[in-house]
Amino acid sequence: MSAYLQISDLTKRYGRICALDRINLSIERGSVTALLGPNGAGKSTLFGCLLGFTQPTAGMIQLQDQPLGDAERAGFGYLAERVALYPHRTALENAAFFAELKGHDTAAAEEQLKRVRLHSVRDRKVRQLSKGMLQRLGLAIALCGQPQLLLLDEPFNGLDPALLDTLQLILSEERERGATLLISTHTMSAIQPLASHVAVLLQGRLAAFGSVEELRAEHPELESLEDIYQQIARRGRVGEEVFT
Amino acid sequence: MKNDAVTIQSPSGLAQHLIQPARARATPDRSRRGSLLHHARLIAVKEFGDRFRSGWVIACVLVWLGAIGLTSFFGLLQIGRIGIQGYERTVISLLNLVQYLVPLLGLLLGHDLIVSENEERTLRLILAGGITRTRLLLGKFLGGCATLAVPLTLGFIIAGAVIGLTSKDSSIEPFLRLAASGLVLGVLFVGIGLTISTFCRTRVQALVLSLLAWCLAVFVFDLVALSLLVSTKAPVAAEEIEMVCATTHVNAALDIHSDFENSGGAIGTPASLVRTKPTTSLGWLAANPIDLFRAINIAPQLGIQVPVLTVLLTVGLWLGATLGLSLWKLSRTDL
Repeated sequence: MSAYLQISDLTKRYGRICALDRINLSIERGSVTALLGPNGAGKSTLFGCLLGFTQPTAGMIQLQDQPLGDAERAGFGYLAERVALYPHRTALENAAFFAELKGHDTAAAEEQLKRVRLHSVRDRKVRQLSKGMLQRLGLAIALCGQPQLLLLDEPFNGLDPALLDTLQLILSEERERGATLLISTHTMSAIQPLASHVAVLLQGRLAAFGSVEELRAEHPELESLEDIYQQIARRGRVGEEVFT
Repeated sequence: MKNDAVTIQSPSGLAQHLIQPARARATPDRSRRGSLLHHARLIAVKEFGDRFRSGWVIACVLVWLGAIGLTSFFGLLQIGRIGIQGYERTVISLLNLVQYLVPLLGLLLGHDLIVSENEERTLRLILAGGITRTRLLLGKFLGGCATLAVPLTLGFIIAGAVIGLTSKDSSIEPFLRLAASGLVLGVLFVGIGLTISTFCRTRVQALVLSLLAWCLAVFVFDLVALSLLVSTKAPVAAEEIEMVCATTHVNAALDIHSDFENSGGAIGTPASLVRTKPTTSLGWLAANPIDLFRAINIAPQLGIQVPVLTVLLTVGLWLGATLGLSLWKLSRTDL
């Protein structure tokens, strides 16, 4: 069976700096992939390539065996690490604008605002929203139109336990719906109950990729996802030192 | 599809939601999703709406109305007369104002169309929705043009009506020519501003470059053009220098008004230009839209003709160059 999202030899260079070095990933439909790695590992660059913000230096991205283009991206949902919206517009106006760009109506935006429990503040200007509300509004925009692929960049950052619980629940619902999720995060405890696959990026290289079960089988002595990640990261650092 | 639906019971108190499998999701109307004009219109409407809310449009209408009114009333102060003038004389008085103010407004509108969205990081969210950069650029350009055109048109309509009613002048053609050419001039400078916006990383950088571009178009181009003519010392240069002075020089309006007084009411060729013959070697002046704008509006007074083809070519080339360059740059920019 061919992969839903196929990333082949993806490379991105900024001058002499190699942000992504021949990344190969096969993401299955309906999977939840946790993209792990320290700051500067290339997670955001990978997202940038997938979302069309960045032109890859080399390599290919295919969605259902077709080269990924702007038309296919209309079926994506994206939550940025730092949610940036129009501050002088209301929550509903922001959500409706981005929903309309994807070809959905205001009702779709309102539906998602209800889902993230922001409907009561839909007429409030974005500049008056708290950080948690802004994060939820960003999520509502990402969820508009029931996207096939959800790309979430550090979605758990700065959330209080209640909001974290809400977000995890919504992501579970999306997984149940059959959406494919690619989540970049440092918060291992939050992603552990959701993730079906794990990809670890270290200094622009893919240090590990596989299902959670496969990774657990490779590291039977380790219990949590965080321990497995730490071990891979340590191994990667040692490899880097030997290499240098 | 109903059978595929899964109802999720939320343990944390969230409302129940009917969630369809991704493969059976509600697909948006493909004709709307895929339409270039649909996306461009959405972005343009949003751009205009934002400027309208910020008070930019209203302020622009008021400034423009005030400027036209004052110019029409005090335009003959230099030759010792005060009062609302007819259309033709208002046009002569307005030329300098339009050639300075409209390009500046166009640049101020265009310079932050892209760079502000990039700085605020909202550009990423727009592109993440599958909007192509061509559509984004077109929408931004149209939004910028609408934001400039609405106040200018309103100002021209209101001022035109007041001038017509007050001076009982019915020969509105010069005024309409001024309004149309002024709008086109503004659109060209929105395009230049948009290009600057795609090349800059910060709004401050874009603003500084826009002001430099304005100085270049309004002052430097003419000075350089005159310097080149003077330095060639060709026999035809003397005539061309006078013609260039007339199409670019700030005191040309005074010359024309004085000539109007001396000739007993009919605006003709100013006394200072009597020796000047229409010349075809001045086509290069059209490279600067501001000089072309002046030439269009004082052509009858100078006894010259500005070919329609020259106007269309200049407008087309400037629009093509600015939009093409913007698209080229934007499509190569990593966000």
